[in-house]
Amino acid sequence: MTSPGRPLPVPDDASAPFWKAAAAGGLTVARCSRCHWFSIPPDIVCQHCHHGDPAFAFEAVSGHGSVRSWTVVHQSFLPGFDDDLPFVLVDVELDEQADLRMIGRLLDGPYVALHIGDRVTVAFEHPAPGVAIPAFALETR
Amino acid sequence: MSGPFAARNEVAVVGYAQSPVQRHASQPLGAVAVDTARRAIADAGLDVVDVDGFTTGALFPTAGAHTIQDGVSIVSSNWLAEHLGVNPRYASGFQGYGQIPGAVALAVNAVATGAADHVLVHRALHNPAGRYHGNPMREAAGTMQWTAPQGYFGPLAMIALPYQEYVQRYGARRETMAEVLVEARKNGARIPWSHWYERPLTSEEYLAAPMIDDPICKYDCDIPVDGVAAFVFTSAERAQDLPHRPVYVSGYATGHPTTRRLPTHWPLDDIMTTGFETARRLWEHTGLRPGDVDLPQVYDGFSPFVYFWLEVLGICPEGQAHQFVADGGIDSDAPGAVPALSGGGALGNGRMHGIPQMLECYLQLSGRAGARQRERADVGIACHSSPHFGGAVAYSAHRA
Repeated sequence: MTSPGRPLPVPDDASAPFWKAAAAGGLTVARCSRCHWFSIPPDIVCQHCHHGDPAFAFEAVSGHGSVRSWTVVHQSFLPGFDDDLPFVLVDVELDEQADLRMIGRLLDGPYVALHIGDRVTVAFEHPAPGVAIPAFALETR
Repeated sequence: MSGPFAARNEVAVVGYAQSPVQRHASQPLGAVAVDTARRAIADAGLDVVDVDGFTTGALFPTAGAHTIQDGVSIVSSNWLAEHLGVNPRYASGFQGYGQIPGAVALAVNAVATGAADHVLVHRALHNPAGRYHGNPMREAAGTMQWTAPQGYFGPLAMIALPYQEYVQRYGARRETMAEVLVEARKNGARIPWSHWYERPLTSEEYLAAPMIDDPICKYDCDIPVDGVAAFVFTSAERAQDLPHRPVYVSGYATGHPTTRRLPTHWPLDDIMTTGFETARRLWEHTGLRPGDVDLPQVYDGFSPFVYFWLEVLGICPEGQAHQFVADGGIDSDAPGAVPALSGGGALGNGRMHGIPQMLECYLQLSGRAGARQRERADVGIACHSSPHFGGAVAYSAHRA
């Protein structure tokens, strides 16, 4: 369950494929068509090969990763999250590439015991019809 | 950058002024800035017409939706010059984080090259009405689309993630961070212009504070304030004829990480890797070594920066700053300890960015610290911002 009024992503020419895939339940990451390096977020120039026309394509990834850090949010500076307080944000290294990191809510609740290296998998929240926001859930051991 | 600084100790700070640091000033920020600038120029024994250079870093460090208006919520170099009635030969603003070393570097370079003779460096910080970082955004466009819909927003969560990495990796305890706050507020409580004057903090008060972004509580963040500080820079030659003992700039270093991240995502390894490189540049540029520094004033806008700067500067080994603090290593009143927060820092003064660090170096090295004057104050380092985005300036009481 998510509260109404959270900021919603505004897809642009570059990011539209990402949000379309998310709405269909899939996590993708931008990949440089020149050097095949994943980038979060994609930018104007590839951060790995520095090509000025990286022609990023969003490629499906496993959604599996490891927790590198986390914080328990007790006070939100954005609208729409107050009903969810406190909640956990995790800094996750995706399996596809060393140090490929994204941040999302951990949907297991605020009181779960966490450790560096804990395994997580992507999950999606739906704050509005047709909008899916990537988050994470702990993998069962 | 390689080799020693060509203008080492050739440019000096010759005067200063600091406004009261308060939650909300009774005058507009620009009026406080003009008054503070005039007082700094007079303190240096100069007239306004003598000042021909102006530099600052004007960033308004809010994540909120507050209006940016020159003279009201920020004060740029050109705004200040115009309102002092000066057509400057040189006016410039530093764009990045680490505004204080950035603005000082611009001033030092301008004096050393002859672009200006007397440069005023100022910093004006504003605390707007309403929540400082609260943002009513309903749509997240551009890079924000990758973090805000996910609930990741603002500088408190930003610092919570690397601090959590530090806590987990090295076993740092909350009771130890309480000692950082007690030290900063102890020193700030001795400074008449500080927001926290005569208001020290106890360890118990720190430990009782509610979490905002666990492991960050409200006392881990400097308090937003209205305040302005200004310093006058000139050549070491001209400084000899001015009233106060000059404090010389031995060099500076800044840096910027090359690993691109999500907005405000600052992993611990990014902070430390680029921070160590910045410190290495500082030693190379100044010819100093960590052991030469009496007054390493570490930046503390968020308390974990104290650990990070102590480590990148080589004051203690990586991962051991929390133990160094727990052992009394930064107690400004203990003989043999490193007075790393003797100027109170941002935690002990209010959100003046790197000004408290710079001001402490200036006051102590010029012998103008009054009742707080330290016996040994020959070399100081003023740090600002995170080690991976900010920088540091080295000051010397001696020209040679």
